[in-house]
Amino acid sequence: MDELAVTLGMDPLELRKKNWINAEEFPFTTVAGLEYDSGDYGQATQQALELLGYDELRAEQQRRRESGDPVQLGIGFSTFTEMCGLAPSRVLGSLAFGAGGWESASIRMLPTGKVEVVTGSTPHGQGHETAWSQIAADSLGVPFEDVEVLHGDTAISSRGLDTYGSRSLVVGGAAVVKAAEKVVQKARKIAAHLLEASEDDLEFAGGTFSVTGTPGASIGIQEVALAIFAAHDYPEGIEPSIDAEATFDPENFSFPHGTHICAMEIDTETGFARIRKYACVDDIGTIVNPMIVEGQVHGGLAQGISQAMFEEAIYDAEGNLTTGSFVDYLLPTAADLPHFDTGNTVHAATSNPLGAKGVGEAGCIASTPAVVNAALDAVRHLGVTDLLMPLTPERVWRAIHHGGDGGDRDPGLSNAQGVTSGAAATAAATGGDDQ
Amino acid sequence: MIPAAFDYARPTTVDEALQVIADGGDDVKILAGGQSLIPVMRLRLAAPELLVDLTRVEELRGVREEGHQLVVGAMTTHADVLADPLLARYAPLLVQATGTVADRQVRRRGTFGGALAHADPAGDLPAVALALDAEFVIAGPGGRRTVAAADFFLDYLTTALVDGEILVGIALPKLAADDGWGVRYEKFNRVAQAWSIVAVAAAVRREGGRITEARIGLTNMGPTPLRASATEAALVGVDVSLETVTAAAAQAAAGTSPSNDLNAQADYRQHLAQVLTRRAVTAAAGL
Repeated sequence: MDELAVTLGMDPLELRKKNWINAEEFPFTTVAGLEYDSGDYGQATQQALELLGYDELRAEQQRRRESGDPVQLGIGFSTFTEMCGLAPSRVLGSLAFGAGGWESASIRMLPTGKVEVVTGSTPHGQGHETAWSQIAADSLGVPFEDVEVLHGDTAISSRGLDTYGSRSLVVGGAAVVKAAEKVVQKARKIAAHLLEASEDDLEFAGGTFSVTGTPGASIGIQEVALAIFAAHDYPEGIEPSIDAEATFDPENFSFPHGTHICAMEIDTETGFARIRKYACVDDIGTIVNPMIVEGQVHGGLAQGISQAMFEEAIYDAEGNLTTGSFVDYLLPTAADLPHFDTGNTVHAATSNPLGAKGVGEAGCIASTPAVVNAALDAVRHLGVTDLLMPLTPERVWRAIHHGGDGGDRDPGLSNAQGVTSGAAATAAATGGDDQ
Repeated sequence: MIPAAFDYARPTTVDEALQVIADGGDDVKILAGGQSLIPVMRLRLAAPELLVDLTRVEELRGVREEGHQLVVGAMTTHADVLADPLLARYAPLLVQATGTVADRQVRRRGTFGGALAHADPAGDLPAVALALDAEFVIAGPGGRRTVAAADFFLDYLTTALVDGEILVGIALPKLAADDGWGVRYEKFNRVAQAWSIVAVAAAVRREGGRITEARIGLTNMGPTPLRASATEAALVGVDVSLETVTAAAAQAAAGTSPSNDLNAQADYRQHLAQVLTRRAVTAAAGL
């Protein structure tokens, strides 16, 4: 997009604005038939510009260019929208996909008042236990610490699909909401019976059923759980349980979007690229847990920045991987990454009861192009029109001083000390005295 | 990732260590901090029969003043180097370079002597020792000998140490700021924990507006650490300015033959050496 803007002589943001869906056009049906439900690309972009301090950095960029500063500054954009919440099962069927896209949850109301939530979407670090507990606690009005989330063993959770594609909260979290609704419906009948009131006269708030207009006539849902476990007194014609299971099959995808902006310094003498500032605003719909969201965004940014700047699998002519260890296949640590300025706009998804859109991939989708666009913006006036990833200093330096895109890296053995690379390690083993 | 079986000895004195090594046959490795040897052993690229661990040899640790020199025990860890007041005052170049070595965990275990004896040209400390004209005190079955830094680094991972010998200490000249010395270790790598692609260790002494002495060591510009002799010569006696330093630094890569490898091509390394030398000397000279 930035290249197109350069070719057209347009501001890269103006070009995007001209082409994106305006806020008032949602829900928007694309020519391909997808319905984008909600969002405001302009608002997210505006907020990201403010987080970055865009005008100030553009002015600095201008100053550095005019003074011929060896360190040049560039600003790169990435505005993106993603299709998450996989997936409506009928759509998958129409694509001859081998499975459905639903997700399941069940809720067990224990006589102790504790609540067990069984999810089919198994986490591997995404924080399902925390977020699902929040959802169950909010839906049932029970304390957060009374909820336990179970997963990952088919002996416990027999129905479920996966954690992938930023779908877990959108589909699996929605299943928890649906299961909780069923628990409350079932508990309402028991509560009405125990309070000798009509179901219609019961209000449910904060985990308690109360009879409208009759102060003091109330019972908590955890008490209902104990009463129905004893089952000494419950209405005719229903089973003595308020446990429930739900399977949520979304009717549409969700469409998170975001604007990421990277400000990059390039040392033109050495080609070294350093991220000066990184700002992003993601619209992921309703946020259940802000800290988890920020963690997901940070992790995604690190991965996407790493692709742009560090990671590369290089093979020699015989097909040997020469970047086969983390000495040669570089990954950034906290020491190599900037502070991230993150923000959110909230336009709830309309395709699931939580209003969530999914955040697992936002950072890694948007950051790679933002970083490379920023590097190019820093050196385009020096005649550089393309840069290969990752942005090794040598590549950037060659592109600036010798033209082209920086070229392929020499697949020859690295000079990294002994530990991994064949020649060095052999020498260490045979010659070096490792005192 | 599990080493082959080996015998293990942990002497407590240098004499005992020399004896254990002498008795240990011809496949003995000396273990200092283990930050290079252990990974190589885990990959089974080295499988010594006997490992002689020097970590309990107390006399090899610490820094002491001996007249116009400081003597750093070979088993002094990088972390100890960073915390030592004598080195902070008289060898700030070593302290600066040591601060860039790997990460905190490595600096806690790795040792100054171990890094020098390993002699990896991408390691940070050999070029510093060379720039400072350090003297290497070596103990062997026949007694002790001293080798100048210029004669210590022989080739890639190869030093003047021979079988049966132990590096016991490194003597450094005192280069204090009070005497006009300024220093800078300018390291170029891609991520914080990576080896230097190129680095430059510079110490210059200023009197008035002139440089009276210049010592510049180059990291990873060949199979051994090197001195940028042409640049050193060009700096001495001239009026210090950005122009004179830049002109002198343009000769920093003269006579070097750095490798072409995954991390950089030789011509790029030679270019970096010039840029980093200019920056290091500029900073060391207080420009």
